[in-house]
Amino acid sequence: MLDRTLSLFQLCDSNFPTGAFSHSYGLESYIQEEIVYNQETFSEWLRVYLNEQLIYSDGLATRLIYEALEKGDMDKIWKMDRMLMVQNLPRETRDGTQRMGERMLNLVESLYQNPVLSQYRERIRHKQSFGHPAIVFTMVGYHLGVSQENTTLYYLYSTVVNLVQNAVRAIPLGQTAGQKIIQEFQGDLAKATQKIQMLNEEDFGIVSPGLELAQMMHERVNIRIFMS
Amino acid sequence: MAGWTGELHLDVENRRGKTVAKRVYFQGALKVMRPIYHNNTGEVCYYILNPGGGYLDGDRYRMNIKVEEQARLTLTTQSATKVYRTPEGHVYQETEIFLKKGSILEYIPDPLIAYQQARYKQKNIIHMEKGATLLYSDIITPGWSPEGKRFSYDWVQLINEIYLDQELVAFDHIKLSPSLRNVETIGSMEGFSHLGSLIVIGEQTTPELLDRLYQAIKPLTNDYKVGLSQLAVKGFTVRILANSTQMIESIFTNLHHMISQEWFDTTPSFLRKY
Repeated sequence: MLDRTLSLFQLCDSNFPTGAFSHSYGLESYIQEEIVYNQETFSEWLRVYLNEQLIYSDGLATRLIYEALEKGDMDKIWKMDRMLMVQNLPRETRDGTQRMGERMLNLVESLYQNPVLSQYRERIRHKQSFGHPAIVFTMVGYHLGVSQENTTLYYLYSTVVNLVQNAVRAIPLGQTAGQKIIQEFQGDLAKATQKIQMLNEEDFGIVSPGLELAQMMHERVNIRIFMS
Repeated sequence: MAGWTGELHLDVENRRGKTVAKRVYFQGALKVMRPIYHNNTGEVCYYILNPGGGYLDGDRYRMNIKVEEQARLTLTTQSATKVYRTPEGHVYQETEIFLKKGSILEYIPDPLIAYQQARYKQKNIIHMEKGATLLYSDIITPGWSPEGKRFSYDWVQLINEIYLDQELVAFDHIKLSPSLRNVETIGSMEGFSHLGSLIVIGEQTTPELLDRLYQAIKPLTNDYKVGLSQLAVKGFTVRILANSTQMIESIFTNLHHMISQEWFDTTPSFLRKY
């Protein structure tokens, strides 16, 4: 089992080239407004992003997709692909996420032979689906035999690690501060995964107004280092 | 679970350039007043009324609105929707809307006021045909509480599902739960008390129009925060955080005027209520 978990870790690496390094999901708006400026204020933002947005969208999606894969319910997966796309109201984060999903899919397709991944790519090529990193990641986790809970946990982990790396560059923070945040968030990630296990499908797509507003406002920012 | 506290069905159609009711039915604690024609565009305006004066514990409301081809409907409320404390069960309101080709719906309810220990869930399901136009807004405001607490309601949940030719094109899900967590923080209400949302879907939407709309409403003060973004289809959403209903309404009215002018060469009527 260990070797297969290790295979999924490859996708969690912040060097895995999906383009995550160029997306801040509204964090840059807060940095420019000087609301986020150090380790404490960044951790506060990250905690809200994880608990008030990520778990209800991508996080809950990883669980629902994994369960659909177990049942072979492909229609459910294509429905979730659309839900993930259209619940993302800010255009930049929606477009950015879609590009990341496509890039991740192309990459993992060169690493794994899997009919579900090929089917997803074909649907995207025919504009029947959009492409989302949470779906690609879950498909790989399921393919590798990693449990649903761990697939969800590692997906959240990879998102958080990427955001910390981006914060280290943008705020900026020291590398040590960045690692401290990643360590400090291990408990939050475990709790967030537990919460996702308890959520209902009706909870999908809840957004927190301030976070979403910052993502929309970013589209109107002139000087920027991130695409969202 | 079977009964509805209030039910409203309204179906309007275009008869030789004038929009008239094809079917009006209501029962219980929901009704509409007689139609009003504010101008000579043929557009009809209906005011929704809650004779009970507010939504109470466990209330359930259902509305079904149909706008037939080329018909134009403005729908609003007579006054704010007040949700009082709900010790037993949350209040639920469900609205299903059908917009046929070439129809226009402007659904502009007054704000929702959620009082101490109120729990409220609202679901709008909107089915549009290509070529229909939708303008929808809502405002969530906290009601006065005896202790002077800014957010004394338990939770308010608003869901908007919008389908265009049967495909889901926008899914908007807001849930504010001051009873579970502090909503004053970064990422949440950020020190503001009122949240306004506007959704516009229309084929005439262009990036240039959105730029102009944003220029007209972009904040020059710290009195409010606003975001505007294009949807996955031709249309956009606006979110506003502010401290008063008037502030949000004035921004929405401004946008509404610009869109009506640009798309229909008309000026929206002032919806007199008092």
